[in-house]
Amino acid sequence: MTDTKQPDSKQDEAVDPNAPITGMDYFMKLEYHELICPVVREFADALMEKRLIGHKCPKCSLIYSPPRGYCPICTVQTTKADEIEMQTRGIVTNYTVVTPVQYYGQEETEPFAKVSLQLDGGGNLSLQDLPGVPVEQVRSGMRVEIVWAPDGERHVDDVTNRSWGSAEGAIRGWKPTGEPDADPSEYSDKVF
Amino acid sequence: MGLTRPPRSPERGVGGGWAPTCGGKPERVLLPSTVPADKRLTTHTIEFPYTRTLGPVYSAFLTGMRDGQILGIKSRDGRVLCPPTEWDPNTGEGLETDFVEVGPGGVVTTWAWVTEPTSKHPVDHPFAFALIKLDGADTALLHAVDAGSMDTMQTGMRVTARWKADRVGHITDVEAFVPEAAK
Amino acid sequence: MVNDIAIVGYAQSPSWRASELTEPQFLFPVISEAIERAGVERREIGFTCAGSCDYLSGQTFAFVMNLEAVGAWPPISESHVEMDGAWALYEAWVRLQHGDIDTALVFGSGKSSPGKPAEIYPLQMDPYTLTPLGADPVSLAALQARAMLDAGKITEREMAEIAARSRKSAIGNPYAQVSGDDDPEALLKEPYVTAPLRRHDLPPISDGACAIVLATADKAKALSKRPVWIRGIDHRIDIHQPGMRDLTESPSTRLAGKKAGVGDAKVDVAELSATFSHQEKLLCEELGLGDDVEINPSGGALAANPVMAVGLARFAEAARQIAEHGKHRVVAHATSGQALQQNLVAVLEGD
Repeated sequence: MTDTKQPDSKQDEAVDPNAPITGMDYFMKLEYHELICPVVREFADALMEKRLIGHKCPKCSLIYSPPRGYCPICTVQTTKADEIEMQTRGIVTNYTVVTPVQYYGQEETEPFAKVSLQLDGGGNLSLQDLPGVPVEQVRSGMRVEIVWAPDGERHVDDVTNRSWGSAEGAIRGWKPTGEPDADPSEYSDKVF
Repeated sequence: MGLTRPPRSPERGVGGGWAPTCGGKPERVLLPSTVPADKRLTTHTIEFPYTRTLGPVYSAFLTGMRDGQILGIKSRDGRVLCPPTEWDPNTGEGLETDFVEVGPGGVVTTWAWVTEPTSKHPVDHPFAFALIKLDGADTALLHAVDAGSMDTMQTGMRVTARWKADRVGHITDVEAFVPEAAK
Repeated sequence: MVNDIAIVGYAQSPSWRASELTEPQFLFPVISEAIERAGVERREIGFTCAGSCDYLSGQTFAFVMNLEAVGAWPPISESHVEMDGAWALYEAWVRLQHGDIDTALVFGSGKSSPGKPAEIYPLQMDPYTLTPLGADPVSLAALQARAMLDAGKITEREMAEIAARSRKSAIGNPYAQVSGDDDPEALLKEPYVTAPLRRHDLPPISDGACAIVLATADKAKALSKRPVWIRGIDHRIDIHQPGMRDLTESPSTRLAGKKAGVGDAKVDVAELSATFSHQEKLLCEELGLGDDVEINPSGGALAANPVMAVGLARFAEAARQIAEHGKHRVVAHATSGQALQQNLVAVLEGD
């Protein structure tokens, strides 16, 4: 049957059942099923082995993780031959603190940070978490290392063609190493 | 792609399917059961809770539906349009809110027999979509005809509205039209 | 005064029931091939316009991702239509009329396999009276087919013959998804899917892409030995409510065809976006295409239906008829909305 949500006019009717109808709700719900493309599947398989992989553009050397199968800057395709393994330590280059607005579908209630990382040896990841780090302590230049989900709990169910490197089932997040912050000159031209 | 061929009647609501209403031949539908072990199928759902204001014309039309009456609107050349429009379909000029009650009976001008309803259709078993020219209207309304069997359907047949008991101001306050004799 | 614009490069992907690649991934080689065939430098292209549908992809702003297949760095001048790529071509054609740029890239792409088209397309209908009924394209096309049958404008046998001919024409077309040698009599013995439509009357569900490069007259002559000239192009729309139209006619096609100049000279071939079999006959009538015109030598939309690219693919196939098969005057048609609500018609010519 239809999953169209009918206007919730019950309350209005309690006031005046003869009041004109002036609004209409439509609850739009669509479900999609999609195969993960081969390069992202390889990324997901590597996560299960506690490895981070990316594709290095053969022309400009930019590293894309998860791999996309091409470099959009140089418009060249990348393949398995361009695959590299990345280090699991890096620098927070940028961050944002989201204060959740309770719109439909928002499950978060407390402010949380999402950070961008520049990994040692090259490569970037976006939309990463720093669990346990109070949002007011999140800052660019922090040195962090990966926290893998433990064996047996690790999964890649949330890695899709559009998850942009967010893989919370495999990467619990990143934790500060305690080393002194990086100098802005190390990352300021790679802020994204 | 290496996908295996799915069963002939894929489970409804699963997979990338809509297989029953896909042209061509043999079907290759994405179903969790048909995806080889080395592939991964992901599922995601998008939901948007829309709320729309109605404006003077649809407000009157849907208020009428709640009250168990179907309204048409008079066009500039004197025709009665149902469903009512805000603009004259021939000239694009705004219409005065000059409503006329039409139906609840009418004539089927064309119809299609839906053998496998989707989850978005108003009827959950085989039914006809039909254009129905309601008595007193000069244009036809799209709605479902709950006719039981395709053999009952005929262009030119008379149908009438079957109202829901609990009406809220929605096009589906008419649950479906039914053959007039069967009301 | 209208400036001459020509098609100087075109490319398509195959039409897949379900591609494992993402939309930008399968667009990537298509765009590269169109640009290479045109012989232009990617960075010299003056304007880029795309057609795609975010609801089909299931992601807001999915069309932005598709730009990765273009190479949008350094920043390019680009636009997007939430319509078939044929309307992107129209926008680029208008843009080239300004005369300040000499080339444009257009593309259309769609991945229909992840979602359920019958549940997605009702969202493009009137949200008060049609979307809540789940009014889907197959049902609406079936209403149109029934109206044509009742009016004596077509028979179920003719519909089966159109489908059989389309499938036969698609044999050997590397971009086609449905092809084969079918006997119309056998097709007529199949059950109805949505009566009066049988499976052969319906298009396949397809993933795919198409790209075309346009150039102004001087540039086209410099780039190509066989530019394909757009001699006329126009698009028109009929009223949205299906019950307010005579579904057995398509005034918008008739008018667009007239404005594009279809009837001004002999037409050799027509590539029509007849997504349902009966629509081919209706389109031929409204465009005045007689028995001497070859219809859909590619197999048309019944053979491959990459939504958002299928109309632009008619341009690519029409251009192929001129550039590769020596035809002189070819019609390309694209449609949008339900039951041929909106129609775009173009006349292409060789030198």
